[in-house]
Amino acid sequence: FRPCPIATVARRESRSHAGDSSCASLAMAEVEETLKRIQAHKGVIGTIVVNAEGIPIRTTLDNSTTVQYAGLLHQLTMKARSTVRDIDPQNDLTFLRIRSKKHEIMVAPDKEYLLIVIQNPCE
Amino acid sequence: MFGDGVVRGADVESLWRRDMGTRCEAKSCQTGEISTVEAAVQSHSSRDAGMQTDQSEETIQDLDLQKEAPVDYAGLLSFLQGVEDVVIKELNKNWRSHAFDGFEVNWVDQNETVSCLHSLLYPEAQDQKLQVTSISWNATGSVVACSYGRLDDGDWSTEKSYVCTWNLDRRGLNPKRPDLVVDVPSSVMCLAFHPSQPSLIVGGLYSGEVLIWDTSRIEDPLIWRTGMTDDTHTDPVYQVDWLQDSKHSHHFQILSVSTDGKILVWQTQRDGQLMLVEGFALVAQQIPRSMKLKRTRGETAVGVTSLSFSHFDPSVFIIGVEGGYALKCSTAVETAAVPRTVSSIPLKAPAQFAFSPHGGPVYCVSCSPFHRNLFLSGGTDGHVHLHSMLQAQPLISLQLSKKYLFSVRWSPVRPLVFAAATGEGEVQLFDFGKSSQKPAVSIKQASAQTPVYCIEFNIKQTQLLAAGDASGMLKIWQLSSDFIQQGPREMNHLEQLANEVTD
Repeated sequence: FRPCPIATVARRESRSHAGDSSCASLAMAEVEETLKRIQAHKGVIGTIVVNAEGIPIRTTLDNSTTVQYAGLLHQLTMKARSTVRDIDPQNDLTFLRIRSKKHEIMVAPDKEYLLIVIQNPCE
Repeated sequence: MFGDGVVRGADVESLWRRDMGTRCEAKSCQTGEISTVEAAVQSHSSRDAGMQTDQSEETIQDLDLQKEAPVDYAGLLSFLQGVEDVVIKELNKNWRSHAFDGFEVNWVDQNETVSCLHSLLYPEAQDQKLQVTSISWNATGSVVACSYGRLDDGDWSTEKSYVCTWNLDRRGLNPKRPDLVVDVPSSVMCLAFHPSQPSLIVGGLYSGEVLIWDTSRIEDPLIWRTGMTDDTHTDPVYQVDWLQDSKHSHHFQILSVSTDGKILVWQTQRDGQLMLVEGFALVAQQIPRSMKLKRTRGETAVGVTSLSFSHFDPSVFIIGVEGGYALKCSTAVETAAVPRTVSSIPLKAPAQFAFSPHGGPVYCVSCSPFHRNLFLSGGTDGHVHLHSMLQAQPLISLQLSKKYLFSVRWSPVRPLVFAAATGEGEVQLFDFGKSSQKPAVSIKQASAQTPVYCIEFNIKQTQLLAAGDASGMLKIWQLSSDFIQQGPREMNHLEQLANEVTD
């Protein structure tokens, strides 16, 4: 006599539905934790997370600066990615770093999100 | 034969009336009944409300981060967990890396030398042996204006002088013929162009008046004046400046500083008059005594020779006085000044902190545009003091000249550079990053007997420096490239300098 496999699956699903809201808040807390860890590193001036449409969803800078960085770097990342793939279609962009006189901007791209970190590498 | 007879006349009966009668019909009509209804209406409650738009300074885009895009936190978390390690590794590597030490990139052509672009003069002023007393660049950086007068004359002079402007971007610039010459009945001691309207310029006269000209009007450029009222300064006005436009009025506000001890704020009125709206008076007994200063009788006025507003806090300003020290003042004070002269507006005492004195009157102060606490002061002892607003003693004291120093100005692009105009006919450019003992560049403007009275950097075209001297000549210098671009560690160096404040 074995328990009906369909029934067990149904029970598991219902359990996960009940815990959905707590899962979301848990994920939110973890997201904040991760961003705080990155922001706490030496010399980091700001951290921005941008979604696939170029809209910033998390930031530690003020609104106008965030919007500027998000828009410009999203476009630049798309351009950089197409450059890499044009040279070699099997290749893809993994990381982008822009070094300027005053600081360094690091962009970690992904299918759905973009992480931008601005660091002042002052020794 | 014939006989008389009477014949009855023939009658024709009228048929008209009968005809008309057969054709007429009698009709009558009346309007239908008008229905009326009476009703009364009254509002239950009423309220008065006023509305006014506020001038918005900048459009801050409201990022409603939580509500706009529904964020999929689980997906975001997995993304962040994936990239976190990579990013942290790169951050650490960057912090320890020496790969870019000393790596400099030149995007523009490097210019190694300082050269004189133009030597501008006005022949009438030179014939009268007038000196250049003040220079100002306009808001767009293409027009330079200078005023002529005398700075070495102690007497009350009624000789007339000029304000001349040249547009350096115009083709066919004639250095001997200014684009606009304004005749002024008295010596003009100071000039200032409006920071955003390119044609308004204010000047302070030797007679104590303050005048505003509009350089776009050819027939009569004078549009506002203070006139000689009881409120006007009784001594020469040594510095004028525009205050930030108040948000709810279309009037401009001008600040004027004079050796009669008063700092007055004027507002433009419609009838061409400048009206006094606010004022500060410096009286000897109200100077904060943070150091032992020579005793002066309590109510004597303290002559103010120069003023500089802080770029970070618009209510804080530094003034230099004839007594040889600098004072930190604030526009937000409430204490009234001890009254000496009658004035239509109550005058306030602005001084909050006194800095240690120079060996002679202070002719120029300048607040740093890059650090909120630093300012320079230069005086007749030939020394320049770098002060922090937090302590009375200067951080650095440099002797730049054996004669007087007439003007010091911070560079608008390089945090560690300033320029000083000396009595020996030289403009000295000092760089704290290179050497703190001797100037980086020393520009010889005129002979050693002709002092340079005023210098101004051009904020829009940062390679230009204008300097005016006692021979009536206004020279425009083009600076070398290392004075135009900010170096990589300059702000940190400046912070270090500012933090050398002793406790």
